Amino acid sequence: MKFIVYILMFLFGTVSFAQNTTVFDQANTLYTNGDYTEALKKYTSVLEQEEHSAELYYNIANAHYKLNNVAPSIYYYEKALLLKPNDKEILNNIAFAKNMTIDAIEIVPEVGFSRLIKKATNTMVFDNWAKLSVVLVVLFVLLFLMYYFSQSTGKKRLAFITSVSSLVLAFIALAFAFNSYGLEQKNQPAIVFAQESQIKSEPNLRSEETFKLHEGTKVQVIDTVSNWSKIKLSDGKTGWVVSDDIKRLKRL
Amino acid sequence: MKLIKHISILFVVLASSMTFAQVKFEAKVSKTKLGQNERLRIDFIMNKDGDNFEAPNFEHFQVIGGPNTSVSNSWLNGAHSYKKTYSYFLQPIKQGRFTIKSASIEITGVTYKTKPVNVQVVKSVKRPNDPYNVEGVASENIHLVAEISKGDPYLNEGITVVYKLYVSPNTGVSNWRELENPRYNDFWSQKIDTKGLRIQNGKYKGEDYRYVVLRKTVLYPQKSGKLEIEPLKLDITVEVPTNRRDIFGGMHMAQTNRTVSAGSRIINVKPLPEEGKPDDFTGAVGDFKFNVMTSKSELNASESLRATVEVTGKGNLKLFQLPKLTLPSSLEVYEPEHNEAIRTYSGGMQGSIADAYTIVPQFKGKYPIPSISFSYFDLTTETYKRVSSGEIIIDVIEGPINTSAGDDNLATANADQTEATLNNDQFAFIKIQANLKPIASNNFFKTTAFWSSLLSPFLLIPLALVYRREKEKRNADVFGNKIRKADKLAKKYLGEAKKALGHKEAFYIALEKALHNYLKAKLQIETSDFSKEKIEEILIERQVNEPAVKEFISILEHCELARYTPITTVEMQQDYEKSASTISIIDKEIQ
Repeated sequence: MKFIVYILMFLFGTVSFAQNTTVFDQANTLYTNGDYTEALKKYTSVLEQEEHSAELYYNIANAHYKLNNVAPSIYYYEKALLLKPNDKEILNNIAFAKNMTIDAIEIVPEVGFSRLIKKATNTMVFDNWAKLSVVLVVLFVLLFLMYYFSQSTGKKRLAFITSVSSLVLAFIALAFAFNSYGLEQKNQPAIVFAQESQIKSEPNLRSEETFKLHEGTKVQVIDTVSNWSKIKLSDGKTGWVVSDDIKRLKRL
Repeated sequence: MKLIKHISILFVVLASSMTFAQVKFEAKVSKTKLGQNERLRIDFIMNKDGDNFEAPNFEHFQVIGGPNTSVSNSWLNGAHSYKKTYSYFLQPIKQGRFTIKSASIEITGVTYKTKPVNVQVVKSVKRPNDPYNVEGVASENIHLVAEISKGDPYLNEGITVVYKLYVSPNTGVSNWRELENPRYNDFWSQKIDTKGLRIQNGKYKGEDYRYVVLRKTVLYPQKSGKLEIEPLKLDITVEVPTNRRDIFGGMHMAQTNRTVSAGSRIINVKPLPEEGKPDDFTGAVGDFKFNVMTSKSELNASESLRATVEVTGKGNLKLFQLPKLTLPSSLEVYEPEHNEAIRTYSGGMQGSIADAYTIVPQFKGKYPIPSISFSYFDLTTETYKRVSSGEIIIDVIEGPINTSAGDDNLATANADQTEATLNNDQFAFIKIQANLKPIASNNFFKTTAFWSSLLSPFLLIPLALVYRREKEKRNADVFGNKIRKADKLAKKYLGEAKKALGHKEAFYIALEKALHNYLKAKLQIETSDFSKEKIEEILIERQVNEPAVKEFISILEHCELARYTPITTVEMQQDYEKSASTISIIDKEIQ
């Protein structure tokens, strides 16, 4: 009985999967015909089925761009970039969408060693770093055993050197995994959805306004207190904003 | 005689003509209402001479002059008129309504009486009227009045102050000079030029006057509460008629200077209601229209366009800020040019103010000009009104694409997105492949599976060490090795027999079979030539020593025998061990 249920579930799963792909195709047709609103409805219905992909987010963002919705379009481009950070088409179109934003925020460039580390960290996601470290550890153990059991001096030497270096690499990979995980946890981007949002110095309405942000600007959420979020801009400015004014890119 | 006759005819004629004319006798007062400190003149006028004039006893009045008698005879175009007047000047003794009783006179034997005259005596006035007191006349006949259109305006609501100079018809004004100009603190004020002075006829306190509008000022109160409008003071040269006459009989006009002031006025300015005040309210009060326009909606990069933010209407146009246009940062925007086209009428300011922005897009793409709103206080409905401009999209058709990525997050994946070079400068089309995946993703990092797979390989190292040490130990131990080898052989061949230990029949069949199997494996002999002699021969041939071979044979024999004899379990055990040791010895010695 249980078995049949499992089979049925599996079947249904695949059926819904196939359905979503056809909905996606239908939405694409609507988009091509210029019916962006209807296309958006179809695309978001796929999202509601708890399925996503960089391509889906990218298409949603394109439809929003065509409808001149600044914040949603940037929001979905950024979501697509979270899944595919180096996709050229997405990077191209987000540049178009960013033209529509009002705030110009300078980027404080990172320099020196920390930049190198960050760059190296960002070559892989933390899961891959973790997998790599496991592989390296296994490699180390095998080589070590080879060293231990082999008879000839030459083989022994080679095995020892490679095993030790793979152990070192395994630790480095592990460190990167931790670093990447930490950065990933710290990276809580959000997009300003309110047309104009006041950024306050304290998380209450009485406090002074430090600056203003407009629709479509990307911020980092550092902290949240009840319905206020502490945000940081890429130029280093911080402040508090009502959480309803922004929309986070990652699920909590 | 004839002369007497003529004279009598003449008398008759004269007398008849006299009887033709009606006798009039009346009393006239200079005024019916006067102050206690003023004087009253009463004239008793008759048009025929009479006798026995009897004045009334002027009760409540004191006669301070008179009776003065005057007689006038005139012939006009042959008509004769006669007037005789008795005048009295009276000073009232107290206030109240009094009646001056009738006077009587006898004219040609008939007694005539005047009508009684009612006079009201009121409180003493400041200046007893003296018709020929120049100062008095001037002050009475010249008035400066400030007329205010609204006494309780809202903050920033326009009001007009009109200064009018009223001059009574019998006086004249030859010149004036402003002594004190009101400064209108707490007001925004603008003087409206009045072109020339036009003398108009109007009424002042019910009497006919001529007036001129001296100046008009539009005021916008800048503060709520009670505000004072300072008085306007003028020094006026007045011409007043006197009782002197020049040689032509015209009135001689006396000149005098007078200072007139329009009195200070208090205006109660109401503050604008706090309720429903929009956030973007900058103080505009009136009736306005709000517009945001762009000169083009489609253009190429590096061409310019103008965006105009304009407010037109009536109200305090000069006194509020236009809302600022917020534009995408990727557009080049120059400082706006401010234009004002405002006329100030007596009703207030009217016209338009506009900010014109020059915008030069640098990159291709769509640029929305977000909707901006303008709020003002509508005086007719006394509510705030908010007008929003719609969103305008500027479409830049041709031009380079903006490749500088807007911002960079703190970390992660797109750290090097600025280095992404873009080959095509078109807005890319959607992607066709869905590649859908479930949203819920499971991370591998920091799970138990991760930790165990990371650490478990290390366990292999101590295991390997232990294994190797054990192996070495074994290699070192010769006797132990022997035993182990025997055990191993026994295990291999005598396993079946060991299982059957205790069951006599089965045990010995298994044991025999095991021994045969062993030989078959070791010596490669066929089962067919499996006789004891043959076995013995082969084993000796293979360098196995005599006693061991004997032992082996004896076991085989015992196996056959045991099937038919009673055997105990202990014996079975002994046989098992014996065969095991024999096998191991043979195995060792066999070549």
